[in-house]
Amino acid sequence: MRLVQGNEAVVLGALAGGCNFYAGYPITPATEIMEQMARVLPARGGVFIQMEDELAALGAVIGAAWGGMRAMTATSGPGFSLMQEHIGYAAMTQTPCVIVDSQRVGPSTGQPTMPAQGDVMQARWGSHGDRPAIVVTASSVKDAYQMTQLSFEWADTYRLPVIVLLDAVLSHMRENVELPPAPPPFSRTLSPDVDVEKPFGNHPFVPFAETTRTIVTGLAHDETGATRGTVGHASEKIIRDAFNRLNHDYAAITQYREYRLEDAAWAVVSYGITARAARAAVDILRGEGMRVGLLELISLWPFPEPTVQSLARQVQGILMPELNLGQLILPLRAAVEGICPVAGLGRADGELFTPEEIANAMTSHSTHAERRVSHHA
Amino acid sequence: MPKMGEDLHQYLRQQMMPTVWCPGCGHGNIARAIATALEHLGTDLGQVAILGGIGCSGRTPFYFNTNAMHTTHGRVLAFATGLKLANPRLTVITAMGDGDALAIGAGHFIHAARRNIDLTVILYNNSIYGMTGGQQAPTTPFNFRSTTSPFGNIEPTFDTVDLALAAGATYVARTTTFDFAEMPEYILGAIRHPGFAVVEILSQCPTYFGRLNKLGDPPDMLEYERNHTIVADEESVISRDELLGNLPVGVFRQEIRPEYTHQYADLCQARGGAYRA
Amino acid sequence: MHEVFQKPDPLRIRLSGRGGQGIILSGVIIAQAAMNGGQFVVHTQSYGPEARLGASKSEVVISQREIAFPEVVLADILLCLSLDAFHKYGTQVASHGLSVVDDLVPIERPREGQIVLPLRRTARELGNELTANIVGIGTVIALAEIVEIAHVRQAIKEWVKPEFHMINLQAFDRGLQLGGRFRVSA
Repeated sequence: MRLVQGNEAVVLGALAGGCNFYAGYPITPATEIMEQMARVLPARGGVFIQMEDELAALGAVIGAAWGGMRAMTATSGPGFSLMQEHIGYAAMTQTPCVIVDSQRVGPSTGQPTMPAQGDVMQARWGSHGDRPAIVVTASSVKDAYQMTQLSFEWADTYRLPVIVLLDAVLSHMRENVELPPAPPPFSRTLSPDVDVEKPFGNHPFVPFAETTRTIVTGLAHDETGATRGTVGHASEKIIRDAFNRLNHDYAAITQYREYRLEDAAWAVVSYGITARAARAAVDILRGEGMRVGLLELISLWPFPEPTVQSLARQVQGILMPELNLGQLILPLRAAVEGICPVAGLGRADGELFTPEEIANAMTSHSTHAERRVSHHA
Repeated sequence: MPKMGEDLHQYLRQQMMPTVWCPGCGHGNIARAIATALEHLGTDLGQVAILGGIGCSGRTPFYFNTNAMHTTHGRVLAFATGLKLANPRLTVITAMGDGDALAIGAGHFIHAARRNIDLTVILYNNSIYGMTGGQQAPTTPFNFRSTTSPFGNIEPTFDTVDLALAAGATYVARTTTFDFAEMPEYILGAIRHPGFAVVEILSQCPTYFGRLNKLGDPPDMLEYERNHTIVADEESVISRDELLGNLPVGVFRQEIRPEYTHQYADLCQARGGAYRA
Repeated sequence: MHEVFQKPDPLRIRLSGRGGQGIILSGVIIAQAAMNGGQFVVHTQSYGPEARLGASKSEVVISQREIAFPEVVLADILLCLSLDAFHKYGTQVASHGLSVVDDLVPIERPREGQIVLPLRRTARELGNELTANIVGIGTVIALAEIVEIAHVRQAIKEWVKPEFHMINLQAFDRGLQLGGRFRVSA
């Protein structure tokens, strides 16, 4: 049992996931990830480099991935905004990599040391064009470890940048956790039967090797990497196929946690650090006799539509508290429209919601929703 | 001295021909010089990666039979840095344009130079943005025209050689597409140099820079390059008057300083890590 | 004189002061000590945009069970080493909560549950004002027995550089003595 900080758990989870390359740029509140990588990677024969900005950091990560390494970077809001260009490049070139974004209050410099959940839409929709995305979050130090580890696996399997969202509180928060020792350094072994002629599309990721002559490009291309001919169609097909793979593996990717939902008539749907206050709020309300439970989302994108829809069919109303002015509530509302009413509770002032605030909002939502129902009757 | 005119087809990715470059563009000459340099280098092409940014020069990686990356505008050196660190035995060559390296990518350019990481930059300088149709670059000479300086450029220019020297590049050379013998020689010197190497090559853009500034046909532009450059490398002695209005060409620096991947390997070794440059 | 503190579960502790006063380290030490005692802990920290000299706070929640909400709203225990921290958090204390305030912080008149003690002055006497945070931990533990003394000593050794073990253990003992004088045995 150890007292581990959220950012430290990201480092340990990354090593467990085989990370052997880190490029970054200092930024509060993610910097400890970089500082610890600088300490641990040299002894493991991995690579650490501090780049000149966040664009360069993600560029180096993508270059290292094609050089055969399991690579990551970590940042916060302003740096995450800068990285959007290369998130698009990683998506277009199907490059496996992991990006950790410890969210702080924005827009712009905002409140560098204070928590927020205002990047959940940018993590999904940032960068121009269409791209498949896996975005996960964490509400505890243990989750931060596990989701970072898992992200490396998914990045390889689905060949895309996987984004791990933390926040300023979780990054700096310490909890007692039991973590396994770090595994030996990762080395990538190439399957001998890979088709080096088809480095893109529905094929495994093959980094540069003696036998490959791969062209990696952000231009629209087909599965050979060629940019000419009827490439618009081929390029769209590659992206559609990537979406389809995520849909096909929906159940494996979707991660969530249920709390006191068995007999719930009302539900809080929450994620990240806010889910902890929501759990305490559920206990408060249960103490007052309200049948309420919590659905804590751990993977945010692909958005778990079937999961929230089946919850919506069980309950009379849903409350979504989040540390922004209404972001993840948009896909939630879209998913459960016509099934049950959804109320939001948002703030972007750098403070967490307290359990009491969430409990009060839930009580008020249930009162209004019941009144609406009786009006209709 | 590398010879030209031998069969260079094995170095080129035939299915990507013809190139996107305009008739008379100097970039084809530079690509040929890269092929000649690769021939003399003799390294297996599986051990070479060519990377480019965005713009006319950025298409270079498509045309060589190596592993290749066509990256983002200005940021090829970030990708190249990651790739080189991941596989230090790889020969990594980057093609950059003048806008690519000196405007949007200037930050990456000076920091890669500062680290003295073993990368080669071939900087195609045609004094203008060609791919987007002839806009002003940080290299467009004073008073010269572009589509975004229709009344003549009022900004001073960046000097690639001065910038590279000041930032810490350890091999710095400049030549022109007129100097068909020096091009492959300098490129080969840059690739063989164990550190950050920059070869700037002044290249003609007849389609935009030439037309907008009434510099004539491609041969006239080559003539213009010859008449406005002067050999003034670290060994030449020239007067201030001779330099006036001319751009110096030659090899300006070629020195051995600690190289980044080797520095990093030493650090790893001291910590017991198995990284080898 | 202060009555014996009734320890709630979860127990919420807030340590506050300025950046550079070791506020975050004190929280980590208490959290580690509680963990050494087999309890669940969550430690959070917060500071202004600047890592040094701004307002700083560090919070520890200790429980026999897993902890949901990680922060402290009303503290059961408050340690306060600076005036701006006192203005901000002096009243954010639960009823029957306990506050220990450094006597160099110019407060008008202590209210019930507020104990003013010479934390920084004691640290200065020891030769290092930076140990005022550890003196503070000592006073709080003497007054409220929130964690075992042996576990705190162990935690200090785990989180403080070896060359500073001695002075911090001394500061802790002085804090225990200071706090012990104000305690009424049950």
